[in-house]
Amino acid sequence: MASLMETLAIATTGMQAQSERLRFVSENVANEDTPGYRRKVTSFEEVVEAGRRTGMVQTGPVELDQSALARIHDPGHPLADQNGYYDGSNVNLVVEIADAREAQRSYEANLRVFDQARKMSQSLLELLRR
Amino acid sequence: MDIKSTLAANAYSGAKPATSVGSAKEGNSAAGLVQSFSETLRESEETAKKAMTGEADPQALVQALAETQLAVEAAVTVRDRVVEAYQEILRMPV
Repeated sequence: MASLMETLAIATTGMQAQSERLRFVSENVANEDTPGYRRKVTSFEEVVEAGRRTGMVQTGPVELDQSALARIHDPGHPLADQNGYYDGSNVNLVVEIADAREAQRSYEANLRVFDQARKMSQSLLELLRR
Repeated sequence: MDIKSTLAANAYSGAKPATSVGSAKEGNSAAGLVQSFSETLRESEETAKKAMTGEADPQALVQALAETQLAVEAAVTVRDRVVEAYQEILRMPV
């Protein structure tokens, strides 16, 4: 029973980490038109408690994508230099959509594991009732 | 006749420990069980409060509620078993 309870806790941390990831994706999508914005990349790491690996997951520190910013030609823009170019963001919507879909799939997988563990413990208790 | 009643009393006192409500060790483990059960309930209540005020994730709330549900189910099942056993004893022809 204890390991099933641990499974519930681990699946919960997985769901929390994936929702955090989706939050960063939404920040990237929202700031697609922000000049000079660098997309945020989510990193995951295992939770270590008192030197012991717990198997739970958490999001690490936020990292910024260091790839080149898009050069956008718009002479009327207030940030434009003498050639008429300014730095846009390095957000690619296709990448963000793929990332969001990945987060969704992983969330669903964790949800399935959660439900599975719950059903297993329930059926174990059901056995006592007969 | 006198000897027989003494024997009966001896047998009764000999059998009495078997019906006493658990040894010290058993009592401790049962108390620990109840303790952890109430702990689970208290934790889930706190998580529910936190989720309502936006401090905790909905995922944590769902996890706490699922754990509480399992704990309550286990407790109810054990209680049903105990009551059933007690009734079985009451039905025993004397």
